[in-house]
Amino acid sequence: MKFFQKCVIAGTLAALAPTAFARADAILAPAEHGPATGLADSAALRATVYGTPPQDMAPMPAKVPLVEMNIGMPWAQPVPEVFWFDRKLRVWFSAQDKPAPLAIVISGTGGDGNTTVLSTLRGVLYGAGYHVLTMPSPTFPGFIVSTSSTGVAGDLIQDGHDLYAAMQRIVAHLPGKVQITDIDVLGYSLGGANAAIVKSIDASEHKLNIHRAVSIEPPVSLFASVGRLDNLYAISIGSEDTGVERLYQKIYAQLANLYRASDRVEIDENFLLSAAGSVLKTDAEFSAAIALTFRINLMNVFFAGDLYAGTGVVVDPKHPPRVGDSLQQASRILRGKPFSEYFTKVFAPYYLKHRPHSTTDSLIADNRLDIIGDALRSDPDYYVQTNSDDLILDKSELAWLVNTLGSKIAVYDHGGHLGNVGDRQQASDMLDMLAGRWRGTAR
Amino acid sequence: MRIRALVALLAVAVGAGSLGLGGCASQGITIHRMPPETPAAKNAAAIQKAEALAEAQEAAKNQQQSGAEAVPQLTAADAPPLETYDPWERLNRFNYRFNARFDEAVFLPVSNGYRRVPSPIRSGVNHFFANLAEVDSVVNYTLQGRLGRGVRSLGRFAINSTIGIGGLFDFATKFHLASAPTGFGTTLSKWGMHPGPFLVIPFFGPSTLREGVGLLGDYGTSYGINLANLYRGNQSWGLGVLNAVDKRSNISFRYYSTGSPFEYETIRFLYVRKLLLEDEGLHKKDPRKPRTPDAPAGQ
Repeated sequence: MKFFQKCVIAGTLAALAPTAFARADAILAPAEHGPATGLADSAALRATVYGTPPQDMAPMPAKVPLVEMNIGMPWAQPVPEVFWFDRKLRVWFSAQDKPAPLAIVISGTGGDGNTTVLSTLRGVLYGAGYHVLTMPSPTFPGFIVSTSSTGVAGDLIQDGHDLYAAMQRIVAHLPGKVQITDIDVLGYSLGGANAAIVKSIDASEHKLNIHRAVSIEPPVSLFASVGRLDNLYAISIGSEDTGVERLYQKIYAQLANLYRASDRVEIDENFLLSAAGSVLKTDAEFSAAIALTFRINLMNVFFAGDLYAGTGVVVDPKHPPRVGDSLQQASRILRGKPFSEYFTKVFAPYYLKHRPHSTTDSLIADNRLDIIGDALRSDPDYYVQTNSDDLILDKSELAWLVNTLGSKIAVYDHGGHLGNVGDRQQASDMLDMLAGRWRGTAR
Repeated sequence: MRIRALVALLAVAVGAGSLGLGGCASQGITIHRMPPETPAAKNAAAIQKAEALAEAQEAAKNQQQSGAEAVPQLTAADAPPLETYDPWERLNRFNYRFNARFDEAVFLPVSNGYRRVPSPIRSGVNHFFANLAEVDSVVNYTLQGRLGRGVRSLGRFAINSTIGIGGLFDFATKFHLASAPTGFGTTLSKWGMHPGPFLVIPFFGPSTLREGVGLLGDYGTSYGINLANLYRGNQSWGLGVLNAVDKRSNISFRYYSTGSPFEYETIRFLYVRKLLLEDEGLHKKDPRKPRTPDAPAGQ
């Protein structure tokens, strides 16, 4: 699916009207209570889009064996016809040929179980002697359909329980004679928060006996982080329906001009990669790329949630779409909808109904890492890695993480969001944390 | 022999089509052994690629500065609409699902198995078919009136068929004659035909009416020329299957790895925009026709 990802990246290369620039600069400037170093940090935006530079990567093993597992979950809800392809949970497993600890790694928002970041982490972990199991995010449609017990994704506790149940079933059915000496969980971005929650659930249920959890660049407040990305979208693309269209037309014209000026006979990956450098230049353009990628993931979560909860925003609960039906209209409506609308129209109505004593405020509060704050503070086996210029955190959230985790957190100066996963420092610190060798940054 | 192969293929196709038709969740477990990952080599390649990319971008910048006046620039107003012309959407969606199932049940397992074949052999197979396709490229470059490129393809064919031992090795690229295949679909575009309605062809994948006709044209050309009796002899079925497996094993696309209900829309959008952008390149010297308002892209 790399071609597709590249297309999405190339397709998100934004170019914006001069007025939007001025607006963006004003709003993106770091405020007193704003992001840790401010969304206007160019380096953070670039690192977030381009990811870890290959020359900074930690040493990788020559070969990593890989098995794909597709597992049905007995508790899953009936599969809606439009989701016929998401019947089973798809995970990837790499086994050592000797007894070894198992590292279970959870993907970030909307990610499947074999993203580029997961592949990088798999390389690092397998090279260090771990069996590695990589899993999709509970916000990935394949997870929502095959594994979620509600179909309404994004609730830390509920998603944590579903993940935990899925992990037990997968670990019990790993192929071959795998000898597991210990189990650790990791996750990046939203998966980082999921990993910590899963460990906290295991601490009371003891079904997997998870030893350590490492959260890589997690959010502190789910909804605040998502709100920041929605805000980025409104600023860089525009919340009205014409925003996306304008963006697309500009990119199309730019790509066409670049292509006409080149001597190529075909639009291929190399062309798109070289075009990215010319089309993505300003902070606003990088912001648009990040915001649009997130919005595309949100569209899936929104659609699935609306279908399962029967809330009727884009899916008629009485006549759900079938295989031959066009979803053009639904996708057109959803691309203009921010997370706040998912919360008010799908998420909150569903969970308020199913949790009698909850309120809108309690739902928001339940989706903060504070809910396991005591464990994060006192249990020596929770670790966090983050960046001081991570876009999804603000200053107060970063300060909360540092105060809560004390010596169990590593804060790097640069990397934006996920722009340093797998680099030498992050990788070696992560392995130290997993092995219990980590002694804090003051080494 | 040929009939038996066809029957086997059909049986497999029907089997694939009937997989997972039920609406209930399945509790079964399936395990597929994948080709191993090679992260060290992948990273080394990424470093090289990044360097090459930086050079290419530098070169493109210089080229743009020197040759900017030659081609008129497109503006945002020239972009086709976001919507795509798709009057056969219902059929296309069923075909898309059929292809996804066939791919999962037959095509992908076979091509994953094929990837275990030593890479020198696979690259030989790949070059062999690419070399055969040069014949079709020569014909179509001629039809397009791009004789320089036609001669280039002919040169590639001559070098690789002889020094390259029947096309198993690509020496022409080493002599700075890079591969640039074309086909009848591109010829039709050059002649002024629009991409036409979006079309998902069973077994093959996303296309448009024009590109579908182009495929038939390409096959007809190869069949007509029948080079070394490869297209009409007893071995033609086997070669056709090998060609398909070789092509599939070089495409990293996986149906529904997005997990998204909007995958059909996404692929349709990207595929047709890619065609339209390539058309812009083919017609860069023609005067621009004004866009029909409200006509979906591709019509």
